[in-house]
Amino acid sequence: MRHLWLGATLAIILGGAVMPSRAADTPTLTIFAAADLAFALRDLAPRFEKAHGIKVSLVLGSTGNLARQIEHGAPADLFFAANESFVDDLVRIGAVIPETRGLYAQGRLALATARSFGAKLTDLRQLADTRVRRIAIANPQHAPYGKAAEQALRKVGLWETVQPKLVYGENIRHTLQFLQTGATEVGIVALSVANVPEIDWVAIDPALHAPLNQVVAVVRNSGRPELGLAFIQFVGGPEGRRIMKSYGFLLPGEF
Amino acid sequence: MDLFPVWLSLRVSLVATALTVVVGIPVAWFLARRRHVGKEVVAALVVSPLVLPPTVLGYYLLVLIGTPGPIGRLLGSLGIELAFTWRAAVLAACVGSLPLLIRAAQAGFESVDERLEQAARTLGRSEPSVFWSVSLPLAWRAVVAGMVLAFCRAFGDFGITLMVAGNIPGRTQTLPLAIYDHVQANAMREANVLALLAVGAVIILLVGVGRLARVRY
Repeated sequence: MRHLWLGATLAIILGGAVMPSRAADTPTLTIFAAADLAFALRDLAPRFEKAHGIKVSLVLGSTGNLARQIEHGAPADLFFAANESFVDDLVRIGAVIPETRGLYAQGRLALATARSFGAKLTDLRQLADTRVRRIAIANPQHAPYGKAAEQALRKVGLWETVQPKLVYGENIRHTLQFLQTGATEVGIVALSVANVPEIDWVAIDPALHAPLNQVVAVVRNSGRPELGLAFIQFVGGPEGRRIMKSYGFLLPGEF
Repeated sequence: MDLFPVWLSLRVSLVATALTVVVGIPVAWFLARRRHVGKEVVAALVVSPLVLPPTVLGYYLLVLIGTPGPIGRLLGSLGIELAFTWRAAVLAACVGSLPLLIRAAQAGFESVDERLEQAARTLGRSEPSVFWSVSLPLAWRAVVAGMVLAFCRAFGDFGITLMVAGNIPGRTQTLPLAIYDHVQANAMREANVLALLAVGAVIILLVGVGRLARVRY
């Protein structure tokens, strides 16, 4: 028994003394980013790493959670949000540098159909079809793409009709997983993550919903704001724009 | 494939289990033996972390230990950084594990015949000695069961860790967070390999502990 306590104490001492951390010899840029950027940033980051000889660490999550973590001192250098209001809140409390706040893209919605469903939907109005039993959207209470999906469905006059068929995903990736597993036949997802083998999709007219403004800012606590700014410039540069476009984002100058 | 999350998770859950034992066993002992008003309240408070959604619990913790929070400021003035470090992952794991260990150990201590403890006292044993030589050896199996539960809960924690330690690759990304990230990135092969590793590691560890416990006691 005594050995157990001895072992426990030892483990704590050792645990406190040796901190596991990857070699910190190359400077690292830590980017907190909304989940709809998952695929685009995983494509962009290695190119930036190569060009600048630094390491990019991507932390992807829901915009709301990430904003709260930054508010409480998270070690982020850059914050890419899927919704501008969260960045504006951080500007207000001084957690991000106001001058660095910039609109980098607008998100787009896609009408997605699981391949297992057979037919491919090409128009929102087809959602009223009785063969469509379940429709996945992100939670309109808090997910930006869910709010936009609700607006689009209202605009085409289908919100009341389809409401009994709706299932809510926690965020846009979760919504897509409903479709990838075939648990729901159709859904409204972010175009930027829609390129997965299990689904077919068509883009939804952005005029049907309020703009999904994607906003970035450098975090106040960042020890290297110049690196963050360089990354923002890279995303807005020719190579960055080409890649962002390939993931279906609308870019400044296009809206 | 990056195996850092595996090592981090093993380390975090081992340290967390050790801390949970050090903090939890005295509490379990107190709850099992002392009789006074408010004991039930303490017992209920102890398990209350189990009823909150983990991310919400993590958020409350973050408010306390984040840089602007009361505990965060105190630690900051001492030069200690807690939030968004691996130590925060240990704290998160402990918060989730403590209720399980305390409940199991408390049940174990309660099942020890108090007359045996009384007998030890009449033979001149001090209170700590009674605990070490009578109560703990008799409650041993329940305590080990609690430790196993605590370890598994610590190893698998997702929500609390996500909030207080962040999900920073190479720094605070534990195994459950890494698996979740791979699923989110649609990298199912990596996710499946890590999930198998997680289950495999815990099975090997627990079978080992089971063997050891049987040999020694």
